[in-house]
Amino acid sequence: MEQMKRILIVEDDEGVRRELEALLQNAGYEAIVLQDFMNSKAEILRVNPDLVLLDINIPGLNGEMLLHELRKDSQVPVIMVTSKTSEVDEVLSMSYGADDYITKPYNPTLLLLRVGAILKRVGSAGVAQSQTYRDLKVNAAKGILARGEEELFLTKNEMIIFQHLLDKRNSIVSRDDLMTDLWDNDEFVNDNTLTVNISRLRAKLADFGYEDAIETRKKQGYILI
Amino acid sequence: MKLNRYLKDRWIELIAYIIFGVLICFLMLAFAVNDELVWLFAVLYIMLVLFNLIWDFTRKRSFYDSLISHTEQLDKKYLVLETLEQPQFYEGELLYQNIYDVNKSMCEHVKEYQESLNDFKDYLEMWVHEAKLPIASLLLMCHNNKDMMDKRFAEQLRRLDAYTEQVLYYVRCEHAESDYLIKENMLNKLVAKVAIQNKDDLLENNIDIRVENVKLPVMTDGKWMEFILNQLVSNSMKYRRADVQSQIRIYAEDLADRTVLHVWDNGRGIVASDISRIFEKSFTGENGRTHVKSTGMGLYIVKQLCRNLGHTVEIASVQGEWTDVSITFAKNDFLKM
Repeated sequence: MEQMKRILIVEDDEGVRRELEALLQNAGYEAIVLQDFMNSKAEILRVNPDLVLLDINIPGLNGEMLLHELRKDSQVPVIMVTSKTSEVDEVLSMSYGADDYITKPYNPTLLLLRVGAILKRVGSAGVAQSQTYRDLKVNAAKGILARGEEELFLTKNEMIIFQHLLDKRNSIVSRDDLMTDLWDNDEFVNDNTLTVNISRLRAKLADFGYEDAIETRKKQGYILI
Repeated sequence: MKLNRYLKDRWIELIAYIIFGVLICFLMLAFAVNDELVWLFAVLYIMLVLFNLIWDFTRKRSFYDSLISHTEQLDKKYLVLETLEQPQFYEGELLYQNIYDVNKSMCEHVKEYQESLNDFKDYLEMWVHEAKLPIASLLLMCHNNKDMMDKRFAEQLRRLDAYTEQVLYYVRCEHAESDYLIKENMLNKLVAKVAIQNKDDLLENNIDIRVENVKLPVMTDGKWMEFILNQLVSNSMKYRRADVQSQIRIYAEDLADRTVLHVWDNGRGIVASDISRIFEKSFTGENGRTHVKSTGMGLYIVKQLCRNLGHTVEIASVQGEWTDVSITFAKNDFLKM
């Protein structure tokens, strides 16, 4: 299995920090909390995370200056987090090389989406890897699963669902996560439609010889075997 | 300054002139002064009186007339003294100095209020930022412990969050110099963000949301626009009807010189007589009185923010059937160069 992505949380508010840690851990990341704000930069370099969530109002060097310093030595993806909704901060952060900018109180779903998007972007840079499922080649752009000459056509929604399950293969994906992913792709479906889409996807896979590819876990979600 | 009023005002002086003139003439005649000398005196005397009146009238008129006409023309009337020349007569100087003093004290007074208002706004903004920390913690807690938490906790929390956010934007919308950044934003991204933020409420209440044709770029401030859309969507949810399948449609028209974004719902609508006042501050209207509690601030803030960003916002509705809020973004080719 792929190694867990490591995310460093730089946040001085105790309550937010604890919950952020739990949120990221639940979402399958390794969350680390920065302890020593006086040597933030050295700490970040030592931990060597895959992504940094950086609050602007932290003790010691403020977030923007820290980012500025950090960029001299590291290109680690950074998401700036702040309770200020000031454009000046945003422009400054972006010009110092932040990858994204989020204001508190962040919607947890949106926060996870952004984290996921950035990690995906960084991960896939350069390598255009083609995904496979068992002996099926996945062509997400065209919505086609291919086995040799045989092709299975999926609708946009089915492809989004399949892709999401495939990315998290062998772990449980909640209906809420699937829903969020669909909505993020401008498909504003409701509960019924999601159920219908999943059963269609199941039927198509079954027709192709993959019975029970998608299992239902009661009250938790779905899992692609 | 009118001549007849001026003369009327000095009637005692004028009568004194006449009485003394006539008196002197009589005395001269009584002392058998040469007739021609009497005539000469009379003419000179009249000339003196006229000169005196005309000179006094003109110098006063030039000061008072410009005082009056400048005051009428200025839209900030208290600045009138700055536009006048110092008067060259004693009464004028007194008046000028006095107005100056009164003005100055008023300005200081206003400034005091302005400062205390600004202090209050600063404090309010700071307070909102502080208040967001515990809200952020609570939202994360709800998300992290979904199975244990009742969904209603999160729902109420989102309401609290929305109201807190509203205060912040209220403080900002009234001074135009607030920081915002206009750049190209994709409408579909903004709409998706707002929809996901409201996802749980929309699904919970079984509201159909349809989004069509919004893959368009607009020139706006992303965060402000998100707040505006959020406000409109939550209004649509708030004023839905119980007897029909609730629907929210978000779609855009791509016209030659502008882009128009519509947020349409089949909610209870607005009574025709309320529509013209719907964007007024603290206006709650019939819906606010009879159905759901309303602050009357949401749409007011939306209107102010739109005005600051240079968009226009309009509302159309048929009571009991639908409501359509449209926001018009100007297209500016100049910005694309």
